[in-house]
Amino acid sequence: MAYVTDVPPPQPFAYLGTPNAPLYAGILDVFALAKQRFTVHLRPEDVLSDWPGAPGALDGGRADAVRPTVEQLVQALDKLVEWGNLRSDADTGRVTTVEDFNRARRIYQLTRHGQAALAAIEHYEQALGQRGRLQTVALADIAEQLSALALHAEAADAPDQATVGLLLFALTERFTGLADNAEAFMSSLRRTVDFSDGDGDEEAFLAYKDRLIEYIDKFIADLANRGAQIAGLIERIETAGIARILEAAARRDAVDAIPDTDRTDGADAGVAHAHATAVQAATRDWENRWRGLREWFVSSGTRRPSQARLLRNAAVSGITNLVNTVAALNERRGGRSDRSADFRTLARFFAQAPDDAAAHRLWRAAFALAPARHLTVDSDTEDTWEQAEYPPGTPWAAAAPLLISPRLRETGSYERRGAPNRAVDREQGRRQLAERAEREAAEIAEARRLLATDGPVLLSELAGDEGLDPRAFRLFLSVLGDALAARRPGIATTTATSGDGTMEIRLKLVDAGTIVAIPTEDGVLSGPEHVVEIIDLTARPVAVR
Amino acid sequence: MAFHQPSDHDVERRRAARALLASPLLTARDDDFRLVRKHAAELAGWFADQTGWRLTVDAETARLFKKPAALDDSTRPARAPKTKVPFTRRRYVLLCLALAALERSESQTTLGRLAEGVLTGAADPALAEAGITFAMERREERADLVAVVRLLLSWGVLARVQGDEEAFVADGGNDVLYDLDRQVTGGLLATSRSASTVTETAFEQRLTALAAEPVPDTDDLRLRALRHAMTRRLLDDPVVYYADLTEPERAYLANQRVAITRRITDLTGLIPEMRAEGIAMVDPDDALTDVRMPEQGTDGHVTLLIATKLATDGKAPTVPELIGFVQTQAKLHASYWRKTAVEPAAAADLAEQAVAKLEALNLVIRVLDDRGEVRIHPRSALMRYAMTDPTIKKTGTRA
Repeated sequence: MAYVTDVPPPQPFAYLGTPNAPLYAGILDVFALAKQRFTVHLRPEDVLSDWPGAPGALDGGRADAVRPTVEQLVQALDKLVEWGNLRSDADTGRVTTVEDFNRARRIYQLTRHGQAALAAIEHYEQALGQRGRLQTVALADIAEQLSALALHAEAADAPDQATVGLLLFALTERFTGLADNAEAFMSSLRRTVDFSDGDGDEEAFLAYKDRLIEYIDKFIADLANRGAQIAGLIERIETAGIARILEAAARRDAVDAIPDTDRTDGADAGVAHAHATAVQAATRDWENRWRGLREWFVSSGTRRPSQARLLRNAAVSGITNLVNTVAALNERRGGRSDRSADFRTLARFFAQAPDDAAAHRLWRAAFALAPARHLTVDSDTEDTWEQAEYPPGTPWAAAAPLLISPRLRETGSYERRGAPNRAVDREQGRRQLAERAEREAAEIAEARRLLATDGPVLLSELAGDEGLDPRAFRLFLSVLGDALAARRPGIATTTATSGDGTMEIRLKLVDAGTIVAIPTEDGVLSGPEHVVEIIDLTARPVAVR
Repeated sequence: MAFHQPSDHDVERRRAARALLASPLLTARDDDFRLVRKHAAELAGWFADQTGWRLTVDAETARLFKKPAALDDSTRPARAPKTKVPFTRRRYVLLCLALAALERSESQTTLGRLAEGVLTGAADPALAEAGITFAMERREERADLVAVVRLLLSWGVLARVQGDEEAFVADGGNDVLYDLDRQVTGGLLATSRSASTVTETAFEQRLTALAAEPVPDTDDLRLRALRHAMTRRLLDDPVVYYADLTEPERAYLANQRVAITRRITDLTGLIPEMRAEGIAMVDPDDALTDVRMPEQGTDGHVTLLIATKLATDGKAPTVPELIGFVQTQAKLHASYWRKTAVEPAAAADLAEQAVAKLEALNLVIRVLDDRGEVRIHPRSALMRYAMTDPTIKKTGTRA
């Protein structure tokens, strides 16, 4: 025997090999959790009240750890003490019942060995990629710490700096781990292995499938339930006033930053200022972290969904991929290999076809895209056949042939090919146009001649006895328009030249009160009496003017 | 034959069925896609029942997997959309490599990226061994790729976003951007077996393996398979000769021809021309076909003249004889034919094209005679193009 003391060497991993391993692991989890809250000593009843699923605690911890009875627990605790995971001390606290007093009362705490073992096991599990389990714990912890924080936030007194600081610190710690893990998961989903191509990637696929399903089973399902709870807690804390809490924690951090504050209290304004700055900076940091936490669990509108929601969506699309891959695998098992390989094989078959004709046959068999091909018949032929009522044994040669348009037979075209259009001779049209222009010019000259007055005349006399000739009248209207347009207010006499420069008109108002009427073929023109002189400029040498 | 007046529903369904028969891959861009979608259930039922063809219709595409009735038909090549020139082996290979590359590409791609993908696929030593290599450096190679891309564009696999292919042919530095529609690529292959699982090495076996369908093992299934085979032929082929069928097929068709053709008429409006030698489902609308006969224009005229000659002479001329015939006709019809066709040198091409058309329509076959010369033999249905009586000719004249 090498040992001289009666203390056995610690065996902190021994519990892993026992049938009761889940129980022990559950107990150690409670201790680890307590440790994170800086609770060092635990009584057996504390362990039970912190047990996952207990009324006070939050579920979602070790699902496989069945809540023990007090006796089982004490037994297990003592076993863990024996292995060196825990240390027990006499509990000197006050009791309230006789039974408690009579029982050997002890308090327990993690030993250094026990702590190292826990850390090692955690590391081990992480290395195995059991993220789902770890994150489930993280979610439970976050919820737990948030509800603790909510109590502080809703309390009337100023929050205790230390407690709040610790809570926030643990929260940050847990949350950081959770976010890291989630990020790793998301990126692993994004670079989903291309299983459609693999030869022998099935094992990788199965591993992936197990991982994904475990993840979804353990974490995403929990996230769906717990995410809402956490979001609710966050809202609750914010409604109660998060600023108070964060500032309390920041003040505590600032104390760490400038330990001398108390000693130089009020004496040194510079230090006070530095302290205020430190508090401000720390508050900002905490606000930032809080925002990160908030954005993780609370969606702000549809455009900025929470990380939790994104994770759930990613998991859902992961499932879709999984189903597709399973289908592809089944297809491959069923003798249908992937299409890319099929196309490559066909490329080889085409290359090795004896000639183009063979390639055409292969083409039709492989792609089956050939159109249907049919002869045609016209209705006349159809009628002929119908009238003939051929018995079924009639050979083609004995039946009436297709009635093909003789023109088609002769020319290869159904349409009559007409003589080309000759070049159009426009001489006649041109002559007609010239004649018309001449005639119109003559008519206008005649109108001018008719309209022109030999010296000034009264408007009422302009028309003469038979009224104005319609052509002359139209011309008159246009020159009258020009003349009236040229008249300026207060001036009784106007002179105007018609727009085409062929006529001049002089108008002089005689009496605005006398209205004269000029009968024409188109109607009666009425207006004040004027003296009118119309000169046909084309008829007289310009020099005369 | 008296048909009941078709209802609007029937008319629409007929249009939809014809659209699918004429082009088994339709997308929302196509005029009759809406009708196909509307009558999808009925059409799918009909095709599954009568032909064993699968019809899939979704919001974007309609695809009729028209398994061919016969694997020996080499008259239906893929054609370059612009020039209508049949694809070469080389272009088929390019097409498959391009599709393989697209299968793995993002939802958008460029012509340059596609060319790279094709080059990667072309590294397969089996291709080089078969004498097909690509470097994408020469203009002709880029033109080949562009012909393939235009086919993909015409199917709706790709949609051009920016750029133009001509510029790429001129200079590989000019790129073109496309959207890729996976829905369409997904439904391109119509093989019964996945090509990559076909291990046969001989061409004919490969072809058979790709198109293989389960062998019917009960009388009911055998009859069903016969009905499918015969309906497929009648729906797709211009003339179905009894002589080309197996004994069970011949017996089945002789028995069931009235029932089968009536169902086809109800669906498509094609009417049967039943003769002693076979059946042709002919189209009174002269629309449901890719090779038209008779047809206007010089090429159509040459084809009609050769058909008439073959039907009337009842002889099987050699190819040089036909070329001589075309040269004679060119002199007679010089005023109607296009200028380039009147040159004596053009006669060989014209004759070859005409014979290829008649072949595609199951109206002639090429047979090697004792002296090793190819002779063009008329088949029975060619007789429907014989000269009509002069009296009928007069009444047939259109004003």
